[in-house]
Amino acid sequence: MWPGTRRDCTYVSPSAIYAATGVDTNAPTESPTLEAIGLVREYGPVTAVDGVDLSLDTGEFLTIFGPNGAGKTSLLGMLAGATRPTRGEVKISGLPISLSEHDWRSKVGILSHRGFLYARLTAEENLRFYGELFGLDDISDRIAEHLERVGLADRARFEVRQLSHGMRQRLSLARALLHDPDVVFLDEPYTGLDPSAAGLLRGVLNELKDGRRTVVMVTHNLTEGLQMATRVAIQVGGRFVWEQDASDIDFAGFERQYHAVVEARS
Amino acid sequence: MSAYFRQVCAIVKKDVLLEVRSRDRITAMGAFAVLAGVLFNFSIDTTTTRPQDVAAGLIWMTLIFGGLLGVGRTFHLEAQDGAFQGVLTSPVPKDAIFLAKVIANFTLLYAVSLLVLGVFALFFSLDIGPNLPWIMVILALGSLGFVALATLFAAVSTGTTMGETLLPVLVFPLLVPMVVFGVGSTGRLMNGRPFDEVEGNVRMLGAFAFAAVAAGAVLFRYVVED
Repeated sequence: MWPGTRRDCTYVSPSAIYAATGVDTNAPTESPTLEAIGLVREYGPVTAVDGVDLSLDTGEFLTIFGPNGAGKTSLLGMLAGATRPTRGEVKISGLPISLSEHDWRSKVGILSHRGFLYARLTAEENLRFYGELFGLDDISDRIAEHLERVGLADRARFEVRQLSHGMRQRLSLARALLHDPDVVFLDEPYTGLDPSAAGLLRGVLNELKDGRRTVVMVTHNLTEGLQMATRVAIQVGGRFVWEQDASDIDFAGFERQYHAVVEARS
Repeated sequence: MSAYFRQVCAIVKKDVLLEVRSRDRITAMGAFAVLAGVLFNFSIDTTTTRPQDVAAGLIWMTLIFGGLLGVGRTFHLEAQDGAFQGVLTSPVPKDAIFLAKVIANFTLLYAVSLLVLGVFALFFSLDIGPNLPWIMVILALGSLGFVALATLFAAVSTGTTMGETLLPVLVFPLLVPMVVFGVGSTGRLMNGRPFDEVEGNVRMLGAFAFAAVAAGAVLFRYVVED
């Protein structure tokens, strides 16, 4: 036996340590709600995300713009715990995912451009399934409330394959918000929506700015993205090349500014 | 109900519901089982070979090939619209996802294995009545071991460009112990031998099944994490 090692070691899970020491992983902390430190994601020789640092507090809404191939979706995947970073770490309320995966994932809601829905289940069955996975108690009430919220109460018993793209997108949003997450990630939520559906989505996203949540949205839609944001970043070549508070941005000239930044950095 | 058990039940219920609605896999597996039984019936010369001597091997081969048709597609339904990513990003332990998939696939395959047994008993005029309960137990253990390995490797092969082509290459070598113990015990019971004679084989088959489930539950996390 090596000096200093013991044969009688017993594995104790992080959750058990928290319980024994009285640490409440849901308690408010001094740490930022969402923190990314040196995030890198490599796919073979390609570096999709190249050292992104990020710190967002509760109530902040960060919109990330960028051209195709900038690594926005890869970054969002890592922030949301869907993709493992090659290097770096993501913390929610100071906790890395490795310490308490269950608590970490319970605090996150993801709206991907893929819906995460089962085409042969009804809208209600999809939400009920995810409600069970998140261990919700009042599932029926929450389903009714969220279907109403996204304007699909009358489509609850329709199979997802019978819904239009816009309806599926709204149902995906209901799925992402069903468990009332602290941190919400939105990947291209406006893609393929008609003006009416986009308006409804805008209304729901505005409700997310209730000061209780942190939201990160990736979008190509400059107008919608700016309207929602409290902070804006432009990502090119896997890095944040431009970042500013939304209150300091000249909305009218932003499109020109965006193209100038992208062209300069591409 | 514990949170873990509740999550497992939710995934099993969802998988069974999807299968009931689509009937994709059960139809393919059931049709394969019946057709294989018919073809094997015509391929054996009963004037030189006793059907009960070869039936066990043919039943197990039909079960394995038919099983691959269904279990191999486990994650294809999940891949549509990225639904599996939604499950992976929810607070469900990865081993719970694996166990749920194994239970759902086992339900499907065991139903097909009983169909296979019925088809072969009919076409090969097998007298399996006295040992039927033990044969059903053996098929259950074999189905469980097969499903555990095939589910794990279906997750591996789904993420590759070779897809379903890769699955048999990965799974078949690992099925050798299961085939040896399964065919040996089923064949003797079909020939009217007492259970005591095959008890050792059945124990080994059971150990193989539970080892496959345990190994799959531990390894599944490393297969599905991106």
